[in-house]
Amino acid sequence: MKRVQETAESFPSHHEKEIERNKFPVARGEDVIGRLAVIRLEKGDTLPDIARHFSLGINAISAANPGVDVWVPEAGERIMLPLSFILPDTPRKGIVVNLATMRLFQYKEDGTSLLVSTYPIGVGTNERPTPTGRMHVARKAVRPTWRVPASIAEDHRKKGDNLPAEVPPGPENPLGEYALYLSKTGYLIHGTNKPASIGLTATNGCLRLYPENVKTLFDDTPVKTPVLIVNQPYLIGQRNGVLYLEAHAPTEQSDALELEKLYKKLRTIEKKARRTLDWKKVKEAQAEARGIPVPIFELSQGSGKEAAKPIEVGHPETLYGKPEIPALKLEAWYVLAADVRDKIEAQRIAAIINHQGPPIPARVFPKSDSYRVIAGPFNDGSEAKKAAKRLKIDLEIDGVVIEPVKIN
Amino acid sequence: MRKSLLLISMMLVLATLMIGCATTGDLEKVQAQQKQIDAKADQALRDAQAAKTAADAARVKADETSVRAESAMKAAAEEREKAAAEREKAVAEREKAAAEKEKMADEKAKKAGAAFEKSMKK
Repeated sequence: MKRVQETAESFPSHHEKEIERNKFPVARGEDVIGRLAVIRLEKGDTLPDIARHFSLGINAISAANPGVDVWVPEAGERIMLPLSFILPDTPRKGIVVNLATMRLFQYKEDGTSLLVSTYPIGVGTNERPTPTGRMHVARKAVRPTWRVPASIAEDHRKKGDNLPAEVPPGPENPLGEYALYLSKTGYLIHGTNKPASIGLTATNGCLRLYPENVKTLFDDTPVKTPVLIVNQPYLIGQRNGVLYLEAHAPTEQSDALELEKLYKKLRTIEKKARRTLDWKKVKEAQAEARGIPVPIFELSQGSGKEAAKPIEVGHPETLYGKPEIPALKLEAWYVLAADVRDKIEAQRIAAIINHQGPPIPARVFPKSDSYRVIAGPFNDGSEAKKAAKRLKIDLEIDGVVIEPVKIN
Repeated sequence: MRKSLLLISMMLVLATLMIGCATTGDLEKVQAQQKQIDAKADQALRDAQAAKTAADAARVKADETSVRAESAMKAAAEEREKAAAEREKAVAEREKAAAEKEKMADEKAKKAGAAFEKSMKK
């Protein structure tokens, strides 16, 4: 955090209300898009809420702000919004997905210029990874039905959660409202009923987008659009005569090979420029893996060109997609989810429950010597029991169902 | 010549007589003085003895005091050392407890994060 503050405070004050987060022009011969920004947190903010509002994944915002509590960050803290991206080293056509950065890029020709729309994604786990390679969009569906694969049904059954063979459209459907079926059978680009999972390795190989992003992508993508899925944790690219390196935490398997590729590219640039690269800077950026483009080299020496500086963005009145917590009602049912001594622990538990999909409202009740996390309100006992069951299965929380207060 | 000899003899006798008288008086005077001095010496001796005795007593007392002071100082130093050690121990314990608390908080946060990630799967 200190680093972010130092960086941010050393900049000339440049305050903007809004910042572009998805659609960027790609200048000829350039590889870096967007701008870094800084925002001051307010009370009750969580990094997943900030991430969603600015169309970032939780991976990106966490990596850019090491040491900041994801669920209970301090109000007033300034955090980096990593809204600058180096385009993957691929042909700029159709849809390109970089698994390492957990971002999707959609290229569009606009007359003579090139536009790119980019969205954060959730990708497959180590056990069920997203496949790399060339494929295309085979078909599209609005309000898709989820046909539960046998392997997933088995995983749920082991946890005591028996899934139906098919899940119809609605809040329980993990595909969300839109799906693009890929030519590689069984793999989809789809929405989600768990928006907080964007930027996580949490899928069974599919690619998830925020509900608001998948709608735009769905509308902009015709069937047969080529899709290229790559895994590039180290990206280099130039903008305005400055060479940048964007390093992400690599997977164990890809690290050595990808590093070798990076160093080979950098040595070629060094040879061509007939000047020595600042290798210390390269290694620092690689070790920190903050996922933001770091200027490492001035391509034309003495040109006076400088790396773009972050801007400060004002905090919006409301954060898009932030879970809403309904008002308390005496006649409602509740679930006591936790009773802990530490306030931050209670706030974290409440925030995690709030960000479940579908959401479960939760809040903290301070007691004289502890803090209670209460989930609810629920309309009836069965709703409360269902929430308690979800808390148990998904978060291993033993909730206690609380009956309504009897009003005489 | 005889007159001269007589005169000399008379002078010798007179001188001898005069010497004899002075010696007796002086002796008494000296003896008196000696007695006084002796008395003074006795007194001085007694005084010295008393002073020595007092000094010895004082020295003994001082030695005892010194021993007691040393012992007290040693005890105080030991107390201080003990107190410092206890303070250090308490500080170390507090630091250990704080570190433990921080570690536990980190672990809890990590555990909560891991549970959250797990809950985000389909």
